[in-house]
Amino acid sequence: MSLQVLIFSLLACVSILGALGVVIARNPVHSAIGLVLSFLNVAAIYLIARAEFLAVVQVIVYAGAVIVLVVFVTMLVHPDDLPEFHGRRPLRIVTGLVLGVALLLEVAAAVLTRSLSGAPGPWTDEAVAAVGGNTQALGQTLYSDYMLAIQLTALLLLAATIGAIVLARPEAVSERVAAARRTLTISLAHPRGLDQPERPPALPRPSDGQVKPAGSGRPIVLARSANEFTEQPAWGEWRTP
Amino acid sequence: MTELSATHFLLLSAALFIIGMVGVLTRRNILVIFMCIELMLNAVNVSLIGFAWELHQLTGQVFALFVIAIAAAEAVVGLGIVMALTRRADTVDIDELRQLRE
Repeated sequence: MSLQVLIFSLLACVSILGALGVVIARNPVHSAIGLVLSFLNVAAIYLIARAEFLAVVQVIVYAGAVIVLVVFVTMLVHPDDLPEFHGRRPLRIVTGLVLGVALLLEVAAAVLTRSLSGAPGPWTDEAVAAVGGNTQALGQTLYSDYMLAIQLTALLLLAATIGAIVLARPEAVSERVAAARRTLTISLAHPRGLDQPERPPALPRPSDGQVKPAGSGRPIVLARSANEFTEQPAWGEWRTP
Repeated sequence: MTELSATHFLLLSAALFIIGMVGVLTRRNILVIFMCIELMLNAVNVSLIGFAWELHQLTGQVFALFVIAIAAAEAVVGLGIVMALTRRADTVDIDELRQLRE
């Protein structure tokens, strides 16, 4: 057994242990830690397979961004202590385990009896080194043969961003306005002035050296509620004594 | 089996995928189900990269890169759905989220 197989087996075992931790842990944060462990070990396995760029992408995107997102959402939702694996649904757990073991045996049989077909491609280690490394070779392939696919991926990411903004929007605008009215309102002008058909007189234009004439500026209205706010004189009705 | 081959990658990939699948089938917390889906996508990447390494091709790596991009998009949308669900139903238990069935 060569050293490479030994290292691969070690990384694979830790990765599978992390994956088992994701499934078994009761606390979602512990699941996220198991997921990071699994992802980092898989990134090291990518390094064995000479996929350096993808190893870095794996660490940044999966172990970085996705896990940060998951942990943030775990923090935002209420952590219900679900009685998982402890009663209530034993049939589901047994079914899942039996199906998993059956599928694992089938896939293992298929993998171990497979016969490799297909000629080896042009990207031997020497060819990859000749163009400057894995990243350069990947970039050449990506931006020549897969140009349309990468542009569609960019479009997909944009659509996903817009979809996430729409989904995670707090609530309807009216509820936000109602929530805002319950809190302290600080305004530099009266909003009723905008609703009136005749507009209030415009602000005096600032003279050259002076931004605003003293004593005739807009009043600062402090109100604790919207009703209190509207009872104060609006801009235009304001009379300086 | 003494030399590293794509068989090792495929066995690891199958193990990770099936662990993720069992997690999706057995867990009830929607966040953990989400993490198990990420695990399954990652398992697919392992087998793609194993084939790319064995056949001296870069196509597998390119596909793995696309899978990572799609997994990121899926993470964003999925967690947005989780946030919307917890805001409306105030739970992460999928057994209590059955509005579509009733």
